[in-house]
Amino acid sequence: MRIADKMAYNQVTNNLQKNRSEMSDLQNQAATQKRINKPSDDPTASARVLASRTEERGSAQFIKNINIARSFLEYSDQSLSELSETLMRAKELAIGQANDAGASEETRRVSASEVEQMYNQSVQVGNRKLGERYIFAGYKTTNTPFDVSGEYKGDDGAMKIQINKDAFVAMNISGDKVFLGKGISSDGQIRQSPNVPKDTAELQKMKVEEQQRVERNQEMNDEPMALRTPASTPRPDSGKPFVSVPDSETKGVNVLKVLKDFEIALRVNDKDAIQMAIDEVDAALSQVVNARAQVGSRIMALNAATDSLQKAIVDNKTTASQLEDVDLFQVVSDINKTDSTLKATLETSGKVTNMSLLDFLR
Amino acid sequence: MAKISSMMDIGKRSMMNSQTALQTVSHNIANKSTEGYSRQRVDLVTAPPIVEGNLQLGMGNRAASVSRTNNPYLEKQLQKEQGMMGFHEGRATALSRVEEVFNEQMNKGLNQYVTDFFNAFRELSNNPESTTTRSMVFEAGDALTKDFARVDHQLEEISKDLDERVKNELQEINKMSTEIAVLNEKITQVEVQGIPANDQRDRRDLLLKKLNEKIDIKWGESDTGIVNVSTAGNAILVSGYDSYQLNQHADPKTGRTRVYYKPNESTPPFDITERIHGGSIGGALDVRDNTIVEMKGQIDSLAYNLADQVNRAHIEGFDRNGRQGVNFFDFMINPNDASKMIKVNNDIKGDLNKVAAASKPGAVGDNTVANVISQIQYKEIMEGGTSTVDDFYNSQVGKIGVISQRAVKSKESQGNIVNQLSTIRESISGVSLDEETTKMIEFQRAFDASARVIKTADEMFETVLSLKRL
Repeated sequence: MRIADKMAYNQVTNNLQKNRSEMSDLQNQAATQKRINKPSDDPTASARVLASRTEERGSAQFIKNINIARSFLEYSDQSLSELSETLMRAKELAIGQANDAGASEETRRVSASEVEQMYNQSVQVGNRKLGERYIFAGYKTTNTPFDVSGEYKGDDGAMKIQINKDAFVAMNISGDKVFLGKGISSDGQIRQSPNVPKDTAELQKMKVEEQQRVERNQEMNDEPMALRTPASTPRPDSGKPFVSVPDSETKGVNVLKVLKDFEIALRVNDKDAIQMAIDEVDAALSQVVNARAQVGSRIMALNAATDSLQKAIVDNKTTASQLEDVDLFQVVSDINKTDSTLKATLETSGKVTNMSLLDFLR
Repeated sequence: MAKISSMMDIGKRSMMNSQTALQTVSHNIANKSTEGYSRQRVDLVTAPPIVEGNLQLGMGNRAASVSRTNNPYLEKQLQKEQGMMGFHEGRATALSRVEEVFNEQMNKGLNQYVTDFFNAFRELSNNPESTTTRSMVFEAGDALTKDFARVDHQLEEISKDLDERVKNELQEINKMSTEIAVLNEKITQVEVQGIPANDQRDRRDLLLKKLNEKIDIKWGESDTGIVNVSTAGNAILVSGYDSYQLNQHADPKTGRTRVYYKPNESTPPFDITERIHGGSIGGALDVRDNTIVEMKGQIDSLAYNLADQVNRAHIEGFDRNGRQGVNFFDFMINPNDASKMIKVNNDIKGDLNKVAAASKPGAVGDNTVANVISQIQYKEIMEGGTSTVDDFYNSQVGKIGVISQRAVKSKESQGNIVNQLSTIRESISGVSLDEETTKMIEFQRAFDASARVIKTADEMFETVLSLKRL
């Protein structure tokens, strides 16, 4: 092949250019520690890196959510444990004061004061706050849920917290459920749907249903329907106004009212009523314990979710790293290789361009 | 005696021809680095011999012509490949800039801002009573809209830059068309006398290559050595000794530069932008009018759908003060320019309590709507309900990555083809100093020897003339 001078020069330029750009790529990779520095370096991988970063950030957020929910639930649990201890003591008192063997009008009056204290304590538990939020107020977290007379001012809202892409856990347990026993039995109360609306259409539907539900619950509260169950039939012999009598385990009771009734029974020295209070307090206790169990199981669910989220974060980090990070040894060895190629190119280029017939004609 | 004068004559002509050859050698050496130059040779032929009796006597040599060493087919091929090269190079340069807009390897981009936005709503859901989480939601929304605007702005900037590039290239194209027309005239003037116009042809070949690098051209050479050049279908750039200019005007609606061709005074200029498919202008226009427009459309539809879905959920909600929710983002009628238009509603900016989290009034702890909004991230709202916001955006990034990668690869492989062809071309037409040096020595020796012939002839004359004196 005939070699023209320009060919040699072009070749030198091209080769040097190629080596240099290879070198600059490698140096960039070594400096950034990334194999992918722009989408075109590896389009599929860079899209996947973005996806795993989104996942990772989502998981981190869910862990944050869970931590908030957990502290809420743990505090609820602690409060409920106090409440159940109080009720336990009330039950002991009721058993002790139910007969004349170890009790008298005198002891009952003293006990009545103690029960009054218990009542106040229970109201306080009901008004527990975590930060600025009442934990037993349903959605109405900024209003005191129980007033001195034990009237519930909150609602039955469940604050649902997202714990992964498609699961929500309620982080609160509303006061009407724990203290009033609303909606846990056949009292005609309908509780809020456990589902979170997935989109605006479902949200609209939910809003309508929710309104109907609240209205219906209101009606039921205003004039409690005599349901055709033996448990709801008022006792003919008691002659007292209707109280939710714990005939069956499924029946909800008003914890505060139970304590109040008990206190009154003690004050008026009504043995029958005290006797009845044993069962009522017992029912209240099991209601609180049930609620605690619910809270506990949610905390466990949260812990399990945290574990899998933490694993997901690590997995996503690993995926992203595998996709975008350089193999440092590879890069360093490539740099060395390119470096020696570049040197060789420079050396030979120098020789090629120096050689000319003119040098030999003197 | 006649023989001696012939010797003198042959020697003289040989010396002249050696000088001619040496001049050509020096021309070659001088143009060693001239782009597009083809090395030239003096074609030496024997002079017509004379017949004396039964002898035919050679009469030395003569310089028939100065010709260039050139392969016209190779030139044409090279010119075609260089045109492709221009196209791919134009595209690759522009695309690497478009790609940077969506590069989130180093900087925060839409992918992250979208996640941050939805995470802010998750924070709101964690703490719907708080004003702090509400300001977080606003800030995240604001940052998201700003990043949409950034993408829009950067794409617009690249388009503007490409406009400038087209303008500059047009100026050069016009200059080259003019020069080709001038060369046409010169070449015909020279070649009508039967003399090859080597240097002018080299220059014209080079210009055709350069022209094709900028814009796709068609050309043909007539018998008289005139090339006629046309582009973009039937826009004639050079016809005979005349050249026609391409003009540009900004499109009044979009502000984009359009290319116009005006054949003569009486015809109105017509738009040939759509018909330019090659050269660096073609590459730039392709990215400007296809890739960027398409990307912008996709990002607009992302912004529009996102805002629309968030708004729909948000107006269903109730704010911290129990008021019915308002639009979270300013209402947009359609996706046109959505990435530029998307803004957080000013009402919300003015009163952060207007961020709605609840599904009913008077329940500050209700986070239902915040939950619904944060779930939009995982809902398939894009492309007619087949992909999520994240999937859609990530696949757009992947797509621009693929386009850019392919453009760079095409550029590289096209570059290799051009390099190979150029090497072959140089191998044929390029100047080799070694060769020229050898020629130089060769002709110098010929020159010396011819001088010696003359000297010998002179001495012979001397001898003849001195005969009488003896």
